[in-house]
Formats: sequence, C-alpha cells, structure tokens
Amino acid sequence: MHNRRARLRELLVADRAAGGAVSTVALVCARCVVELSVTGAGATVLSEHHVDGDRAAPANRGLVHATDPVSAGLEDLQLTVGEGPCLDSFESGGPVLVADLAADGARWPAFTPGALALGAAAVFSFPLQFGVVRLGSLDLYRDVPGPLTRTEVTDALILSDMATQGVVEDLDGHATADLSWLLDPHVEVHQAAGMVQAQLGVSTDVALMRLRGHAFTHDLPLAEVARRVVARTLRFARDEGR
Amino acid sequence: MSTGRDQRLADTFVSLADTLVADFDVLDFLGLLTERAVELLEVDAAGVILSDQRGGWRPAAGSSEHAELVEVLAAQTREGPCLDCVRTGEVVASADLVAEQDRWPLFAPAAVEAGFRAACALPMRLRDDIIGALTLLHVEPITIDDSTVALGRALADIATIGILQQRAVRREEVVSEQLQAALHHRTVVEQAKGVLAEVGGLDMNQSYVLLRDYARAHQLRLSDLARDVATGAVDAADMVAWDADARTAGS
Repeated sequence: MHNRRARLRELLVADRAAGGAVSTVALVCARCVVELSVTGAGATVLSEHHVDGDRAAPANRGLVHATDPVSAGLEDLQLTVGEGPCLDSFESGGPVLVADLAADGARWPAFTPGALALGAAAVFSFPLQFGVVRLGSLDLYRDVPGPLTRTEVTDALILSDMATQGVVEDLDGHATADLSWLLDPHVEVHQAAGMVQAQLGVSTDVALMRLRGHAFTHDLPLAEVARRVVARTLRFARDEGR
Repeated sequence: MSTGRDQRLADTFVSLADTLVADFDVLDFLGLLTERAVELLEVDAAGVILSDQRGGWRPAAGSSEHAELVEVLAAQTREGPCLDCVRTGEVVASADLVAEQDRWPLFAPAAVEAGFRAACALPMRLRDDIIGALTLLHVEPITIDDSTVALGRALADIATIGILQQRAVRREEVVSEQLQAALHHRTVVEQAKGVLAEVGGLDMNQSYVLLRDYARAHQLRLSDLARDVATGAVDAADMVAWDADARTAGS
C-alpha cells in the first residue's frame, strides 16, 4: 500500500511539473479520472479558513475545481439544493459511496433528480478534513452505475489525503513532505491542536497552522512539535509560530 | 467457567446490545467494549485498532487513555501481535513479552517498558476481510486460556458488528464509510481532549474521562460532545467546573 501512495505521489509531482502552477486539488481531480473508473471529478474548497483570523466565519463556498462540466454542475447542484453526498460526508465524517444513484432516489429528493439529469449514475464523495476542520470535499461521478473497487477506494482515500494536504499548504504556504498530521497513528498532533487552540483562543484550523508554522520555522517534524506541546514544554503565545 | 463470569458475560452483552440503538455512537460502543473486555476477560488493558484502508492501522479505542497504554496501542500499529493478527487473520498471543525481543524487536521492549508482559490479539473479521483487532494486555506474564480466547473472539465479533452499526451490509461500501467515519470521530475526540487538557490542566486520560462522563451524565453522544468541545459550541470551562462539582458532590 505504501507503494500505491508513493506511486500516486510521484504521478502528482510529474503532473505538476508538466502542467505548471496548478493547485494540488486540481491535479488530484485530474489524476482521479485517470486512476479510478470514474467519468469526472470535482472538488469544492471551503473558504472559511483564515490563517490570521480568530473564529472561522460561516462556511462559504470557495474555489471549485472540476474536470468536466458535469462535475462542475454536481458541485453547484449540492450547494444550491443543500443536500447530497458531499454534505452527508461531512455529517458522517466518512466517505459517501453511492454505486447506483437512481436506485437510492429517496435519499436526496432534490439532489438525485438533478444529478441524474446532469448525467451522473454513481457518485462518490470523500471529505477533506482534519477532525473538526472542514476543508472541502472530493466528489467523483460515473456515467454508468457501479461501485468503486476496493483498490479504487484505497487510491481515492490516498488521493483525498493528498488533496487535504494541498489545501492546507495553499492556506499556510508551508509545502512540506511531512504528512504526520494526517497519517501518524500517534495522536499527539490532534491533541496538540486542541491545546493550542485553547492557548490562543482560536479555532482548530488556526491552531493546526500555528503548529505547522512552528515546525516549519524551527525545522522540526510536526509530530515532535506536537509531543512538546502535549508534554507542556512548549506553549504558544499570540505571536508564536507565524 | 465460573457462575460469576457467566453473569458478567450476560451483563456485558445486555449493555452492549443497549448501545446498538437508534442514537448509536461507534466510539461510545468501542470504549464500552474495551472496558468490559477488561472486566470480563480479567485482563489489565484492552484496545481496538481499525484499518485505515490505505494499508495502515490506527488505534480507535482503549480501556483507558493513560499515556502508557496509548503509546503501546500506537506502537502495535507498526509491529507486534496485533499487526501479525490483522495480517494473518489468526489469534496471535505472547505469554511473556520479555522473551519476544527477536520476534518483535521494537514492540516487545516498548510494551515491557510500559508495564505489560503478556498480549493477545484477536481479529475483527468481516467475511474474508480483517477490519481491525481487539488486543488484550496483561501486566503479568500469563498464558491466556482457551475459554478466554473464545470469549475474546466473541467480543471482537461484536466490535465488528458495532462498526457496521445496524445497517445491513448489503453493500461493501458501507464498511469503508463506517471505518473512515469511526477514525474521523477518533481524531475529533483527540482534539477535544487537547482543549479540555489545556483549559482544565488535566492529563489526556483525565480529559477523556471527563468527556466520557459528561456525555453519559448528559445523555450526549461522545462524538457529538467531542465535536462541540473542539468547535467551541460547548464551553470547556463549564465542563471542567461541572467535573469539579461532581467530584465534590461525590466525595
């Protein structure tokens, strides 16, 4: 599985080199269409996050990426009707995988007819999130019914991790290969984010970015910074870690 | 098997079945399951790890959240009986971890250092898949007997059912949805523990106990309360004050 991750990472690096300055999220969407048996991919990045802000503003729609007009239409549709797989994925905390949209018509009475009319027969949404921090969603569709294979679900989860990483890098400008905040089974990064948000009176997203900023400027692994916070040998003050 | 154990077994199944109702919360369920595993199987600690479906494993619940146990549960996602168990689908046990330095050069010393001498890992099996494992830990070197392994397997099966919640598993996708949701909620709990630790000057186990006890006393789902603490919708200072009052009243 680490091979799958390494392979997808190399492909994204090559995609970026070939395509110039494109956002990671857009690269992930394009790569989903190549790697997975889907027709199109879209992503909405929520714009409620401000590195310098205190409390997050209400969720606003931010940038939308889409590989084709149907994907763009599906992103719009969910936000217009206020229901759909992407919104459900935030509610449940996990992906929402619907292999046959027409067969599950009662689930979203407003979204489903519109999505079918657009040409989607199966939809798969993966939340981009860090605990309570909602960054956006990666939404895949297929024009014929059918589930993602197990391997495709694995690849989609890995690609959604990379999209999540890309969104956070875009927000704070710290591009690192350090994925410990996403994948480390040690839980100190999450605990430290909670402690730092209480120390600073900020929201969890800002706390995460302060932790990442500290790791970046002190050239430390994020997991080590988190361990020091949890051990109470490192505290954050209002201007720390910028 | 003793009559006392039979009674505790019956009580455990009743209390676990009670949680499998409409307002079900998977973390409440796994937390309760590991606590009951400790009582019922007469072990010193228990934990559940789940597949992250990317080829890795993540701790999801423990019978306590003391740092030593948390560290061992995290370490076993990289090496040890638990990882061998999820890879093979078989029960993997060690009666004395001191003798396992060659078998698990990283895990065995770490577990011994944390105060554990024996371990047994039981697979959480769904059809042909292993979605996680239940690990039992002893502070004394001990060979776990067959009846305990049989009961542990039953608890591991119940944990699998809990992950799937009441939803009929018509679709394989449900497993992916539920595993990812459980791990997401676990992350939120860790963030909430951090907030409570800072606001209340608590260690991480105390923070977890406060979160759990407050949720039970107010009939809230653990995941919902954790989310509200992490987003600031519930004031952590109020919870700390409630805790102090409850302890004063109780003493």
